[in-house]
Amino acid sequence: MKTASELNFGERAIIFDIDHTHPSFRRLLEIGFTPGQEIQLVNSSVFNDPLAFSLRGTLIAIRKHEADCIILS
Amino acid sequence: MSNASIEKLHLITLVGPPNSGKTTLFNQLSGKNFKTVNYPGSTVEYSTSTIQSKYGLAAEILDSPGIISLNPNSPDEEVSINSLYNHPLFGSPHLLIATVDASQISRHLLLAKQLIESGFDIIIALTMNDILAKRGFEVDENKLSELLGCTVVSFDGRTGAGLEKLLSCVRNKLEFESTYQSITPNKIFENISKEKLLNLYKEIEEIEKNVIVQLPDLKENKLGLANKQLKILNPTLKYGNNRPDALTMKIDKYLLHRRWGLLFFFLIMSFTFTSILWIADPFMGFIDEIFGYLSLSASTLFGQTWYGDLIADGIISGTGSVLVFLPQILILFLILGLLEDSGYLARGAMLIDKPLSKIGLNGKSFVPMLSGFACAIPAMLAARTISNRRERMLTIFIIPLMSCSARLPVYALLIAFLTPADKAWMAGIALAVIYILSVLGSLLVAAVINKFNKRLIRTEDNSSFILELPTYRQPKLKVVIRNSIENVKQYIFRAGPIILILSIVIWSLTYFPNYSPKINSTGLSEIEINQMVKAERLSTSYAADLGKVIQPVMSPLGMDWRIGVSLIAAFAAREVFVSSLALIFRVTDESNLQNSILFAMHDAKNEETGKPLFTTSTIIGLIVFFIFAMQCLSTVAVSKKETGGWRIPILQIIIFTSTAYILTFITVNVLKFVGFN
Repeated sequence: MKTASELNFGERAIIFDIDHTHPSFRRLLEIGFTPGQEIQLVNSSVFNDPLAFSLRGTLIAIRKHEADCIILS
Repeated sequence: MSNASIEKLHLITLVGPPNSGKTTLFNQLSGKNFKTVNYPGSTVEYSTSTIQSKYGLAAEILDSPGIISLNPNSPDEEVSINSLYNHPLFGSPHLLIATVDASQISRHLLLAKQLIESGFDIIIALTMNDILAKRGFEVDENKLSELLGCTVVSFDGRTGAGLEKLLSCVRNKLEFESTYQSITPNKIFENISKEKLLNLYKEIEEIEKNVIVQLPDLKENKLGLANKQLKILNPTLKYGNNRPDALTMKIDKYLLHRRWGLLFFFLIMSFTFTSILWIADPFMGFIDEIFGYLSLSASTLFGQTWYGDLIADGIISGTGSVLVFLPQILILFLILGLLEDSGYLARGAMLIDKPLSKIGLNGKSFVPMLSGFACAIPAMLAARTISNRRERMLTIFIIPLMSCSARLPVYALLIAFLTPADKAWMAGIALAVIYILSVLGSLLVAAVINKFNKRLIRTEDNSSFILELPTYRQPKLKVVIRNSIENVKQYIFRAGPIILILSIVIWSLTYFPNYSPKINSTGLSEIEINQMVKAERLSTSYAADLGKVIQPVMSPLGMDWRIGVSLIAAFAAREVFVSSLALIFRVTDESNLQNSILFAMHDAKNEETGKPLFTTSTIIGLIVFFIFAMQCLSTVAVSKKETGGWRIPILQIIIFTSTAYILTFITVNVLKFVGFN
């Protein structure tokens, strides 16, 4: 299963599910990472972590381990 | 304003996600007369005001901190959310105005919907309609109002358009409400389940589909083209509303570039610090002159009396030594405000999240650490944005190590002693080295504490970095200036009284009990008599008595009690070190304070050994001491308040001050051993 942390730069994908065992899952959902949404990896920090995604018309930076619980379809 | 008059007024709380235009609306409603409140027992700051009288609506408005949902994610968010239900100081609001960014409608309706379902009485202020219009869409207000079951009013933050309509809705609500009993809202969203959250989003997406309409000129062919260009994968989102601002993406290509991003980061940071020093300099000279003039006028007015001395030296020079740094602090707040308003600070936090997380900090520690270069007090307050408690505690822990502006006069004096006056670049390099040492020192301390002592700062939360990168925009200069001035005012009220009281205390200790000593004045000029009197007064003063007690601590450092007394004084506020040296070494020439202190320092002999007191080794030793020591009383007080106990501030005092003493001891003696006096 591919997760959001494995996207290439500029690559788009649709969210399939959010891993609800991750402690950050609720905040990720609340900020808009919900199943069915399209995301695109647009930027990353120099150290490749955190990653910035385009989502619902805005940019959200999250850590790699948080992107790991965003499961793509 | 008294509590009684607050009770009479209706209370309206503004609530909304971060970057939703909430504070802009607050500023429009309040005009200039807002104040910041920080009620006891919490760490969350609120701005409060009455609505400007020109709108003819008597109501108190409260600007609450931005929240994403009614489910708290950190202790601070919990306080913010609880206060929506019942604010400890202001009570329950009669009405909420929820700001919703029209261009972010699917994300921002989450909070609005939760508020409605919880039973709050709300009006929605729809902001950023211009951004949505640029994409070729608009929100059907009436439809949205119908679907949500609450009033919706568009509001333009830049022009203020829509404010009158919003206020008339507020007026209607408040008058209507007075005949009905309001419902007590429920807390139904704490630890909300995943299913419930997803259902909520489904409802919101359904609403979004119904209320977003194309602007007339973009209908038909253009939209189809736009959608084709965007290669939209999601078939349910037919309109092109899910792209971030194009200009922002372009700028981020450079500022968040994988290789150059860090370079831009360091350039922006260096510009920030150099401009603080350069821009502030003339203003500081100006303030210095004003206080010099006041002090001189006071001593000519009152003559050689004890109260004349108290006013001129104790009060005017004492407070002047603090106010002289206000330009630096103001400029730092200004630049930080501009950076924040432009949207860059969030990117800076993202860029250094990874390295900071390695030593137990968070990308969100970046802004507090940056503010620490101005003053540790606002820096510790800024640490409130860090949701993880452990990371927040560790950030607060190391903030006193950031080289704050109160250390500048101390370093300036000590460096001036070491470097030749005609080689200013040497002083510049020395100062840069001190700044770099202070950053490295703080990072090292954080790493050591994080690694070896998990128990020093106990509490384990989920370490997380989820941060919206706001759209770049031109900073609102007027608002930034106003907030900076407000911050400086707070600084004066916080630190001012301590400095004033302490200046008087030091002055008294060096002046009494033998305030009018008898000396043999035959054949001496008036200036010499004056100096003899001052010397005799000091050596028989309470300060000298105190100094003899601390002499054993100072001897290993090659220093005597006079430096010891100045260091003790510096524990209240670091800049007092300079004025204390001036008082103790009987500096008389008011017009050129620094040169006369330097002259007196070159002359001073160690009272124990008879050798010169200020040498290369003791001066470098003192610099090392100031880099590490925890010296500022106000910092201790704020540290206690922000960490909720004495544990952290006491650890800071013990660890930082003992490290400072040991390192100073090593520095002085190693330098002496290798031949540096």
